[in-house]
Parts: sequence; C-alpha cells; structure tokens
Amino acid sequence: MMDDVFIKSARWQKKKRRLSENVNLFVFLLPAMFFILVFIAFPVLYSGYLSLTAFKFGIDKVPTFIFLKGYIDRITNDSMFTAALINQLVFAVSYFSITFLFSLVLAIFINELSFGVQAFQVIFYMPMIIPMSLAGITFAWLLSPINGFVNIIIRSITENPRFMFDWYQEPKTALIGLVVARSWKMVGFTLIIFIAGLKGIPSSYREAARVDGASFRQEMWWVILPNLRPYMLISSIWILINSLKVFDLVRVITEGGPGIRTYTLYYYSWKLAFERQDLGQASQVAYITAAIIVILAVVLNRVFRPETAERA
Amino acid sequence: MAAKNLAYGRLSKVFFVLVLIFAVLYIFPIFWMFLTSIRPDNDIHKFPPTVIPKALTLSNYLYVFTGMRGFSRYFLNSVVVTLSTVLIVLLASAMSGYAFGMRKFRGSGLLFMLVLSVLTIPYIMYLIPIYIMEYHMGLTESYIGLILPYVALNLPWGLLIMRGAFSTIPLDIRDAAIVDGCGEFRMVFQILLPIVRPAFVTTTIITFVFSWQEFMFASTINKKNNWQTLPVGIVWIRDELQTMAMGKVGAAIILSILPVLILFFVFRKFFIEGLSEGMLKG
Repeated sequence: MMDDVFIKSARWQKKKRRLSENVNLFVFLLPAMFFILVFIAFPVLYSGYLSLTAFKFGIDKVPTFIFLKGYIDRITNDSMFTAALINQLVFAVSYFSITFLFSLVLAIFINELSFGVQAFQVIFYMPMIIPMSLAGITFAWLLSPINGFVNIIIRSITENPRFMFDWYQEPKTALIGLVVARSWKMVGFTLIIFIAGLKGIPSSYREAARVDGASFRQEMWWVILPNLRPYMLISSIWILINSLKVFDLVRVITEGGPGIRTYTLYYYSWKLAFERQDLGQASQVAYITAAIIVILAVVLNRVFRPETAERA
Repeated sequence: MAAKNLAYGRLSKVFFVLVLIFAVLYIFPIFWMFLTSIRPDNDIHKFPPTVIPKALTLSNYLYVFTGMRGFSRYFLNSVVVTLSTVLIVLLASAMSGYAFGMRKFRGSGLLFMLVLSVLTIPYIMYLIPIYIMEYHMGLTESYIGLILPYVALNLPWGLLIMRGAFSTIPLDIRDAAIVDGCGEFRMVFQILLPIVRPAFVTTTIITFVFSWQEFMFASTINKKNNWQTLPVGIVWIRDELQTMAMGKVGAAIILSILPVLILFFVFRKFFIEGLSEGMLKG
C-alpha cells in the first residue's frame, strides 16, 4: 500500500517536472514565435490570399475572389509589369556580374598582398554601413548634370554638349547608374566572403601547384577557383536575392523615370499598393518576384554545387 | 624557384597599386560629399564649376544644428527605433535560440527550417499586409509601428546565430545546473548567456546595421516628421531644400553617417566578422 503511494507520487513528480519543462519550452519559444507568426507567416499567407483577389484599399469593402485571373492579367496584359520585369532582369544581370566579378577579382588581388589586407577590407566594407538612400543622394549628386563631379571632369576634357548629360534622366544610362550605386554599396560583403574562402584554401595546394611549375593564371584556374566554389554559391545567392530588392534607390534617385525606364518589380508593386491602393495587383507582383527569386536560387545551387554534392 | 617567387613579388606590387586605385575610387563618393558639405553654396554652384573649393566654411554644419527642421528629431528616432529593435531581437532570439539549440523537442527541425525559409522571401511581400494590419490597429505613425516589423525581419538571423552558439555548449552544463536546483530561466540567463556572448555581438551588429538603414518600411508606415528615421528623413530634407542646397544636405548626410562610421572603425573587426559570419552560417 505504502509502496503504491510512493510510486504514484514519484510518477506524479516526474509528470509534474515534464509539464513544467514543457511550459518552460513554450515560454522560451513564445516571443520569437509571436513575431514570426504575426509579422511573417500571416503576412505571407495574407498577401497570397490578396494576390488571388481584386481589392482596392479604401474603395472596395471586401476583396473579390478572382483566383488566378490576376496573375494571368499581370503576365499577359500589363505593359507596366512587363516593363518592370525587363528592367529588373537587366538590373539583376548587370548587378550580378559587376558585383560578383569585381569582388572576386578584388579579393584575389587583396589576398596576394603582404600588407594592408585589413585596411583594404575596411575601406571596401565601409559602404555596407551607409544607408542605401543616403548613398543614393550621394551618387545622384556625383552624377548631377548641374555641377556634379563627373560632369565637371567631362567638361574639362570636352565642351561638346553631347557628352554632358543627366545620367539618371537619360534613358540609356539611368538603370546602369542605379546598378553602379548599388554595387558600390554591396561589393564589400561578397569581398569578405571571397577573402574568407581564399584564406581557407590550404597553402600546400598552392605550393604543390607552384612546384609543378604552374603560372599564376594556371594556379588561379586550377587551384583557387575550384576551391572557392562553395563561397561562390553563398555570395551569388546573396547577390541574387539582393538584386531583386531594389526600392530605395529608385525612390530616391529616379522615381522610376525617365518614363518607366527604372521601374523595378519592388517599385512597381509598391506603387500599385500605396499610390493606386490596388492591393490585389501589388500582391501578384510581389508573389511573382518571390517566385523568381526561388527559381533562380535553385538554378544557382545546381550551377555551383555539383562537386560538393558528389562528395556528400 | 627563386625566380618564381620574384615574379610573384612583382605581381603583388601590381596588385597593390590596382587595389589602391580602386580603394581611392571607392572612398571618393563620400569624400566628394564631404567636400561639398564644407563649401559655401555659391562656390558649389558657380559657373564654370571647379573640383577644388575656392572657399571653405562650416556654416552648413551650423545650419544642420540650428536651422534645419527635423534633423535632430530624425536622429533621435533612428536611435530609439534601432536600440529597441536590437534589444528585443537579442532577448527573443536568445530565448528561442536556447530552445532550438539545447532542448530537443518534437518538430524542432521542421519549425527551424520554416523560420529560415523566411530569409529568402522578398520583404515587399510582408509590407502590404503589415501596413494594413498596423493601419487597422492604429500603429502607423509610431515607433512601435517600425519596431515590430524590424524585430520580425531580424529574428530569423538572430535565431540562426543563437541556435548555432547554444548548440556548441555541452549539455552537461545544463544538466549539472538543473541537478543543483537551478531554475531553467535562471540557468539560461545567468550561466549560459555569458558563454554565447560572441553570438550576441554578431546579432547586435546585424540587427543594428539593418535597422539603421531601413528605408522601405519606414517610408511607408510613417509619413510624419515626428516618427521618421534618418534614411527617409534626409531624403525629405533634400526634397524640401532642392538641389541648390547640396552643401546643407551633404552636411546632414555626413553628420548622420559619422557616428556609425566611427563605431564601424572602432569595432571594425566585430563588424566585418560579425556580419559575414552571421550570414555565412546560413
């Protein structure tokens, strides 16, 4: 009888402890889960729902469900969307190539230096902490048609007005001007990734290549670059995701102009939502943007991963 | 072999010169802004324009402090929003980082994967629903209206970093503390947190850099001077003053990036390692 009570109470104790542990676990997870559920999960689902409706904020009382019709409209029957998509792709491709190649070459150069490595890293990293909008104002001023630095230099070389132009209002140069400003800000980050990767290559690999009589170029091609692959993957996914998030620069420098030459997907979606109050269309554009990012990330994974996959 | 080393040495000099040129070009936009900010307006806008200033002045800086509407308020707002965001992210991510890293629970792997998938979703997708939500709850035009989404957007990073840090702590430490009768909360906050201090630094830097620069949410959710942060506020100042007052705008820009720049130079190691490590872990 006594035994029974004892065992029961021991079990009870165990149960109680487990209960209190579970309560603790819940409490530990609560704050983070609250934020993620309310401000991340719900918004994703809600804008997914909105994208299947026609809904003008403040005009329509409730969203009208139209299923995929909105998406079909965007893709087949919305010249603004097509323009924004094309601009975005041009932007992404040029941004990707400039940032990737420039930081890779720079990292290889810096890695070969016997001193100053730290100092250069700091210099190239510095723009990372400058707000994009302020960098935007800075670049707009640098390229300003009135008394911007670049045009002063051009004026000192030639008085020909054909070479004096408003970079950010000229259809041919506006988008690439944005790319340059954004690359300027972001190169530091991929540079650090590449330098970390270069430092991780065992020096014995390179020495072995040298003993075999490899030139610097051969060493790069056969030893360094293959070993950098995982780092290339990380930085390209990072650049890629960033290449589609173009809002502040457009808003600060060009407002989408000249005409609609610098409308990006972000900017178009934002315009639809907050100037035309069309939340349905805006959500469709946002979802299509997300889909593009996911597809490109998968493709990149394929391009850079084959070797590590074999090893695993 | 010796000849080879020599060749590499020469190459290294070429690299140094190239990198140096790039570095100068890299700093130049900021330097140009600085130069503009210490020139009087008539020197900046004279014709024909010159690169080298004919006269120097500090009046633009004086103007930012005395005559410029909004600047100090924007600065204060940025500080308030950024600090609150950092504190909440640290607390929430440390707590759940512990749960994910040291307490195995059913579905933890799946839940964590879900949290991480957030990192690839474009922020514009959250913006519209969050705006509607805050609009209905009366949270637009407030600090909280910015802090809440900033915390949510930074939490996945914080969680990723904290989980990594906690999972390197041997479970024995935790078991020993519990056997000694230490409560779980006290154990986490008093014994485990000091061990994961480096993760705190990394999380702080990532969150700080994000919140200090954020533009899209800030410009959409807050439209009044009282609650606006610097990245948007200075754009408003520029729009108000127009291009003919670039010296003043430049002074405002320099003043707003200077404190962070100093922080960055002092803690450069933490910044560079923190930011890249935090992201590389993904």
